[in-house]
Amino acid sequence: MEQTLVADAKDAPREADLAFDRLYRSSRDDVYAYVAGLLRDEAAAEEVTAAAFERAYRKRNRFDPQRGEPRAWLFGIARNAALDELRRRGRQTELTTEPADLDSLGAHEGAEHDERRLTVSAALERLQPGERELIALKFFAGLNNAEIAQVLSLSESNAGTKLHRAMTKLREACDGTA
Amino acid sequence: MEPLKDDQLIADLRALRPTPHPQFAAELDNRAAAGFPRRSRLPRPSLGRLRALPPRRLLLPAGALAVIAIAITAVVVATNQTETRSGSGNLGLLNLVDEGAVEEAAPEAEAVAPSATGAAGAEAKPFSQTVHHRAVERAAEITLAATPEDVADDATRVFEAVHANNGIVMRSSTQEGRAGEAGATFELLIPSARLGDAMAAFSDIDHVRARHEATADITAPTVSAAELLKESRARIDSLLAQLEATETEEEREAVEAELRHERRHASRLAAQLTHLHRRADFSRVSLQIETGGADESSGGGAWGIDDALHDAGHVLTVAAAVILIALAVLGPIALIALLAWLTHRAWLRRERRRVLG
Repeated sequence: MEQTLVADAKDAPREADLAFDRLYRSSRDDVYAYVAGLLRDEAAAEEVTAAAFERAYRKRNRFDPQRGEPRAWLFGIARNAALDELRRRGRQTELTTEPADLDSLGAHEGAEHDERRLTVSAALERLQPGERELIALKFFAGLNNAEIAQVLSLSESNAGTKLHRAMTKLREACDGTA
Repeated sequence: MEPLKDDQLIADLRALRPTPHPQFAAELDNRAAAGFPRRSRLPRPSLGRLRALPPRRLLLPAGALAVIAIAITAVVVATNQTETRSGSGNLGLLNLVDEGAVEEAAPEAEAVAPSATGAAGAEAKPFSQTVHHRAVERAAEITLAATPEDVADDATRVFEAVHANNGIVMRSSTQEGRAGEAGATFELLIPSARLGDAMAAFSDIDHVRARHEATADITAPTVSAAELLKESRARIDSLLAQLEATETEEEREAVEAELRHERRHASRLAAQLTHLHRRADFSRVSLQIETGGADESSGGGAWGIDDALHDAGHVLTVAAAVILIALAVLGPIALIALLAWLTHRAWLRRERRRVLG
């Protein structure tokens, strides 16, 4: 994953725009995947994803590379936008994925795979929201532990520990479901 | 089903990853290419949304607005009070006194000092005239700053200004010498009706270092003296009538003695009234021409470095005062806004954490 995506604010505006464009293209689907997993609402996920990129674009000159990676910065903005949307709705939406579209998994995928993924999806439902968010950031958005730590304002070791615990609970939940 | 292996679990999680709809992705790409123009798709705060908010969520912004409104009101009221006070103070120094302006003013408690001197036959003004036109005594002091070589010229111009305004130079003194020694003093009587013109003329002579004008209402003692004089004259007329009617020498001598006493009394009252009228008709002006001191060169001499430094200092002082006042007004408001913003941020963070439980 390309890491240096946003130019310094002191650079030429053109360079900042190009850097942001690179960040957008490399992160668009990841941001959507994370937000959709958080909101469980496709339309709202599209709104929030667009709003997050819009906010990030407006703030692109304020990004300080010394304070972290650009992807982590972008996901921080997306996270705040998603949480604000949840807060506005006045309801606590659980962090789960929408039911998997099993038809799109490919012809080579067998019934065993489908069953297993439904099991994983059901197990995700039973995790705590914070644990599901960690898994979404790691496996839906593809962030590394350092980026997750920055998004969630944790230390990297703490983020790794929490992620390990979440995966352990997920595996236990899958075993219990199976 | 067999227990999941790590790589299987991770693969399943990645397979469950939501993907954006192609139409949305294309639309977002277009917006990205256009520089993310502002749009109104996301709901913005509206009146309906504000109404839907629980009251406790409105408390903080409402409280902040109330505090800001109170602060602004307090500043405005304090400013107005300051202006009113300074305005009243200025009125006290003004010598513009007309009928209504001093109607409520407390008349000066004048001690009516009997005097045998003065014009005994001076006619008192009619009572009605005195009532409708307040008798106001005016006095002024003005200090001019000059260079030693300008003192003589300035003194000449003072005389010219006095004569041009039909005034009287009661006493004058001119001293030549170095700066600080040279100078002049004048005690002047200026017709009150011309006092404004005269003071303007004096101010044009040289740099004005100080100027003060004051007024005093002497209507009460003037009216009192006029009434006493009227009574005294009526008494004299009565005594004259009695004198004509006397039949014996003793009676005539007694009436004549009383008549002499009453005439002296009337004379004193007339003199007193004349003195009061003169005080109202003529204003006493004390004029000084000084040399030396901070403003010495700023009057008649050329504008120089000292003047520039003085003016620059004055400008900086005024600018600092304006900045200080602006800070005094904006500081508390900015502080309140900062506190409100910090509180809002803390509240927002807490709410975001709470959303995920």
